[in-house]
Amino acid sequence: MGQYVIKRILTVVPVLVGISIIVFGFIHLIPGDPAVTMLGERATPERVKEIRTQLGLDEPLYTQYLIYLGKIVRGDLGSSILRGDPVFLDLVRRFPATVELAFSAILIAVLVGIPAGIVSAVWRNSLFDGCSRIMALTGVSMPIFWLGLMLAWVFGVVLGWLPTGFRLGTSVTLVPVTHFNLLDSVLTGNGAALVASARHLVLPAVALSTIPMAVINRMTRASLLEVLSQDYIRTAESKGLPQRAVVLRHAMRNALLPVMTVTGLQVGRLLAGAILTETIFSWPGIGLWIYEAIQARDYPIVQGATLFIATIFVTVNLITDCLYAAVDPRIKYD
Amino acid sequence: MKAITGVVGVLVFAVVLLATGPAIAQTTFVFGGQGEPVSLDPAIITDGVSSRITRQIYEGLVKYKGPTTEVIPALAEKWEVNKDGTVWTFSLHKGIKFHDGNPCDAAAIVWNFDRWRLSKHPQHENQIKAGQTFEYYEAQFGGFDEKSLITKVEAVNPQTVRITLKNPQGPFLANLAMFVFDIVSPKAVEKQGLSFGKNPVGTGPFKFVEWKVGQEVILEANKNYWDKAHAPKVQRVVIRNIKDNSQRLAALKAGEVHGFEGLNPDDVKVVRADPNLQIMLRPTNTTGYVAFNYKVKELRDGRVRQAIAHAINKKAIVDALYGGTGMVANQFQPPPLWGHNKELKDYEYNPERAKQLLKDAGFGQGLKEITWDDGKKEPLQFWYMPVSRPYYPNPKEISEAIAADLAKVGITVQLQTTDWAVYLDKRKNGQLPLYMLGWTGDNGDPDNFVCYFFCSPGASREGFYANQQLTGVLMEAQKLTDQPKRAVLYRKAEQMIHDDVARIFIANNQPPLPFSKKVKGYVANPTGSEFFNTVSIDK
Repeated sequence: MGQYVIKRILTVVPVLVGISIIVFGFIHLIPGDPAVTMLGERATPERVKEIRTQLGLDEPLYTQYLIYLGKIVRGDLGSSILRGDPVFLDLVRRFPATVELAFSAILIAVLVGIPAGIVSAVWRNSLFDGCSRIMALTGVSMPIFWLGLMLAWVFGVVLGWLPTGFRLGTSVTLVPVTHFNLLDSVLTGNGAALVASARHLVLPAVALSTIPMAVINRMTRASLLEVLSQDYIRTAESKGLPQRAVVLRHAMRNALLPVMTVTGLQVGRLLAGAILTETIFSWPGIGLWIYEAIQARDYPIVQGATLFIATIFVTVNLITDCLYAAVDPRIKYD
Repeated sequence: MKAITGVVGVLVFAVVLLATGPAIAQTTFVFGGQGEPVSLDPAIITDGVSSRITRQIYEGLVKYKGPTTEVIPALAEKWEVNKDGTVWTFSLHKGIKFHDGNPCDAAAIVWNFDRWRLSKHPQHENQIKAGQTFEYYEAQFGGFDEKSLITKVEAVNPQTVRITLKNPQGPFLANLAMFVFDIVSPKAVEKQGLSFGKNPVGTGPFKFVEWKVGQEVILEANKNYWDKAHAPKVQRVVIRNIKDNSQRLAALKAGEVHGFEGLNPDDVKVVRADPNLQIMLRPTNTTGYVAFNYKVKELRDGRVRQAIAHAINKKAIVDALYGGTGMVANQFQPPPLWGHNKELKDYEYNPERAKQLLKDAGFGQGLKEITWDDGKKEPLQFWYMPVSRPYYPNPKEISEAIAADLAKVGITVQLQTTDWAVYLDKRKNGQLPLYMLGWTGDNGDPDNFVCYFFCSPGASREGFYANQQLTGVLMEAQKLTDQPKRAVLYRKAEQMIHDDVARIFIANNQPPLPFSKKVKGYVANPTGSEFFNTVSIDK
């Protein structure tokens, strides 16, 4: 087990180096000179040259990469071209908003997806199962920007029940402690901010939860159906155990393993920032930050954020694999 | 029982969530910005999102009057200029203080000018080292140090500043009214250094409170504002970062913002149909045009250019594709500019005349192939921009309409576009044969429109168009300080551009600003310099 974990961790290093090369390479393959883009219609050759020199864009590519890699190793992700802020600082400031949104979305996805999957599996081919499967298919296939806009329009504009976006209203003040609004509201005993934060979280979290919810629902159903057809379940049933105990105590323990894996991966995906959801709901997390940086061709932000996202994915995968090894002793590193 | 309690708890929480909170406190003016500001240091910014905020915090020596580009006093109560237009003397209002309590006197003004124009000034040099530039100073005043048009700035006494220029500059006052030349607190800049852009201190009607990264900038009314007659009418201003066009509209309709910038042309009718909303049109300061490359043999023929001018149905394009906010353009300067030539008669839409002109030029069978000066032949490509701009809100659709018009008279074009940066690169290098672009004015002065493009004859970025006579007229106008005399020259220049069909001007646009009907007193200015101290919110 220990050996497996060490070997697994070692495989992460070349993956991260590879990612850094790809990230660095891609950004230089995109057509257009970043200096010209920054200057827009007013670009003159002198100004373009000046900007290029300032940004080190005239150095050979491999030199630019080595400098970049050296800085990453020292924890320096560079500074934004546009604003001059250190990328790392921006990341730290914006990540809590993304974490808050991602965990709310996952919570909704798990709380709805797993029970719905269980009911679907137990009462297979029932009306509920049919509806649930259609909902899951819709959830996976629905374009999130469309859903987001519809939610904002229906619940924000037409019904006026919830805010159309943002993290907090303009009439509420909250002293930041951890930058997690819900937590900060509790820590500072600010009831108004707690309610406002929760209200602002509902629509983006619901929009963001649709895909993971659908994936978890389908995985729970499929996994539970497989387990329910196994011999030990028949044994449990033949002992005269009530169905509730059979499903929840015996079947679910095994059926939930793959569901946990899928959920872990979804957490990774959501933590990487939901560009569309955050943009549509003006949610100040890393997704919106990346969107703005891509538009402005703010190289260091795009590079730093991509590397960060890739690291999250790799880490979540690593943790999932290690947990699997802990839970299932048959898993070994070949 | 537990389950029932849980369900009831969730329902109660949901009701609390749905039933809580007014959208906006009434004394707060909430504006939807199109993104995150870059910096709140006016000297180094060039973007509209940032300058919308800095204009509330700072003031310049002079400013634009209401919805016009007329220059009126601001920090300076009056000024004089010597006979040859090279020495300007500004008298400052007495007793003005920055938000940090320091006096805004002649010494502070001199410090600001020195920071802009001297590359060795510590607060200039540190910005350059950090990758920032004083781009607008360079553009408007010719450069820094020896290159600077402004050669000396002196404090004659605490209330008087004298500025000496190398040569007279017609648009000098109009330049000084731009947001970049707003006066900042020297003490605050020296204390904050590069962080000043996040902790701005000016003299304006609103004081900076907080910049919540990625979310909003909060300002509060300056209770000690020196100009009591124009003291702010709202207590607080919040400028929110709303990147998505549709969400800005949703937020307005939901009452979460009072107004915003950047309405989709298609949404103008949605706002007009809403009884709670109003549309304000910003007086136009933007012109979209079709430009020619003069290294293309066929396009060098004035008859071909004129034929193209007669072939395009501008009115149909404006009516169909500008959401009711566009105006047909017949010259470069939009109508609000004082150099605009009202007498100028446009080439009317006349496909038959266009066909005749093409026939006269030897293209009776149509024109679909061009010859570059180096002998290379290729199909005629018409390039359209990949991004929306105020002058061309729907560039692709507009290009299709123009292409269809050209096809009717026998000119076949291939529509082309590319990434925006590449597009600008190609235009800069003179590689586009026929293309769409436009200009949004910076300071309301005709020089900023016409001279920027026609004072460098033969430049590759202008399709190698060279008209020395036109340049002569514009350079003469630039050196005069007498506005009526300058106006005569700019009108003449417009006529020359028109007669030569140097370009075809398609449309001016009046960017629509949607607001809640509760908002009163918002004054839209052609330059986008809008001051929130005139705004009040009805209860």
